[in-house]
Amino acid sequence: MSAPRPYNLVAELTYRCPLRCVYCSNPVGWRDVPDALCGAQWTRAFREAAALGVVHVGLTGGEPTLHPDLDEIVSGAADAGLYVHLVTAGTTQTRADLARLRERGLRSVQLSFQDAQSEPGDRIAGARVHAKKLAFAESVRAVDLPLTLNVVLHRHNLERVGELIALARELGAGRLELANAQYDGMASVNRAALLPTRAQLDAAAEVVARATAEARKPEILWVLPDYWRDRPKPCMGGWARRTLVLAPDGVALPCHAAAGLPGLEFWRFPQRTLAECWRDAPGMNAFRGESWMREPCRSCPERGRDFGGCRCQAFRMAGDAALTDPACALSPRHELVLAARAEAERDAPAFVYRGDRSLATIHP
Amino acid sequence: MSGAPLAPRDFEMTLRRVGEERYHHRHPFNLRMHEGALTPGEIRTWVSNRYYYQTRIPIKDGLILAKSQDAVFRRAWISRIHDHDGTRPGEGGLALWLALADAVGLERARVESLRDVLPGVRRACDAYVELVASSDLLAAVASSLTELFAADIMPVRIAAFEKHYPWVRTSGLEYFRTRTVQAPADAAYGLAFVLREARTREDQERCERALLRKCEILWSLLDAVEASGARPRLSRHAQARLDDAEPMVVLPERALRLRGSGPELLALCDGHRSAAEIAEAMRARHPDAASAWDDAHDFLDAMRAQGVLEANAG
Repeated sequence: MSAPRPYNLVAELTYRCPLRCVYCSNPVGWRDVPDALCGAQWTRAFREAAALGVVHVGLTGGEPTLHPDLDEIVSGAADAGLYVHLVTAGTTQTRADLARLRERGLRSVQLSFQDAQSEPGDRIAGARVHAKKLAFAESVRAVDLPLTLNVVLHRHNLERVGELIALARELGAGRLELANAQYDGMASVNRAALLPTRAQLDAAAEVVARATAEARKPEILWVLPDYWRDRPKPCMGGWARRTLVLAPDGVALPCHAAAGLPGLEFWRFPQRTLAECWRDAPGMNAFRGESWMREPCRSCPERGRDFGGCRCQAFRMAGDAALTDPACALSPRHELVLAARAEAERDAPAFVYRGDRSLATIHP
Repeated sequence: MSGAPLAPRDFEMTLRRVGEERYHHRHPFNLRMHEGALTPGEIRTWVSNRYYYQTRIPIKDGLILAKSQDAVFRRAWISRIHDHDGTRPGEGGLALWLALADAVGLERARVESLRDVLPGVRRACDAYVELVASSDLLAAVASSLTELFAADIMPVRIAAFEKHYPWVRTSGLEYFRTRTVQAPADAAYGLAFVLREARTREDQERCERALLRKCEILWSLLDAVEASGARPRLSRHAQARLDDAEPMVVLPERALRLRGSGPELLALCDGHRSAAEIAEAMRARHPDAASAWDDAHDFLDAMRAQGVLEANAG
């Protein structure tokens, strides 16, 4: 079967991480996923990805810098001709480390922040990390790497969007991703504790609009979350269409959360070539293109734009990954999203942290 | 949102602050002009491009005239058209600008043909006419108040030309000399009109916006002139894939597809050729493509805005 050209590789080097963020998008069962690929195997994966058409690789995790072969991995990606981008929490690398990685071919860095202030930021991360991140951001700019800040937004930090923009400016970030939480992984466990109110979102949107009108830098990415938009998000730009995710255990996926969907068979690199994993794995082809769609997607004029939304969200909320994303107002199950909006207007419960033992009983 | 109108003095202060902060006297190109740092080529590019702006002035003044129901206003305002077009051939501001073109060594017929007007300059000037056309009389007059700040820039400019650009014949500076007299008188009339006719806070805010927009237009005109002299090269943060089956440039977390002559253009961005030279090369290489020169400038502007190209001035 023919497959579209993937442009972007998401290389999840490890799910280990010093942070315990309450909205982590890694699988809740991340401990069971081994770091199966060594530097030489990642290097081979990059070469095969480049042959498939991939031009950009995001080294991510977990905390990707915890992989023992990081240097070799960066060199391997650069040697394969890929644009090498590091997505990190910024607590493990010194300026000298960054200079060395740049020397090996690293081209840009995305740094996560949990908040504009250290106390609430550290509370979300479940670790004392905010101050380290500030120093790390300075190091990134000092070695002349382009910096993106990424902040997951939720009810406990939306009020500080203005401060976050100021922080991004101060740190010399070229881009600021204000990413409203997506409710998979830990974020689905903590959904009731994270959901913002409509009023919070509207106020933040206004702050963003004003900042965007004022200055061109940083470029600010802000999208009203799908729960409130009545239109589904074009998840991953379409299933197995542009982005290939390689998980720490070598399983090739169409998105970072797809391993959580039951009944889909994905293949493992290097047991199979990356081309086989991308082109022929049954899971990759399960929702590729449009033939899998049912009504109302099948005849919808928007289907080429939003691809029916997010398969994981359809499964998580409505129990069937092949349904229209309930975020869509045309979905027969849209009431599930309306209920979540109503839930957001109530008081929030306490957080459950990634790695908490109680999780084992909630999600065996 | 709008409260009581500002007192005329405070309103005038507000308008003057817009000029102080946003008028093009602060633009790097003007600063370099007045410091004596421009090359003859840059002076010529500026003169031939700014000529297009000069041709738009009587047109926008005609539009303003047509908005007024008041003979007294029209009688006063029409003098601007007379000033600019003269009352017989060879007179007026437009003719003086062509004399400047002669004085800097440009071929008059070529300037008048508008062949070398950069697409960014054309867009800026057309945007000014469009701003006036789509505004009511009050906002249209307010947009002309950049004249308030022009009066200050003219003596600086004359002195700079006499001191730093002795190769420009002084006969060419007559336009600037004339404007040192005309601009203050025009500005005084326009300012009095705006202060009188802006009766509500909403009116006043509309005037501020129109003046600010005009400042942005003048600024972008100089941006385009400046960019044509810059020598673009691929940004150190961009990776070009010109030999890819789908040629593209990869940047942090995104990629841009290059279409049409994009790959050919990007290959010319070596940090040695100026944008103007690259556009000329494209015009020469593609004699059948009428828009090759414009497309080249537009492409280089867009790539710079996207962070694909970096450039050193001059």
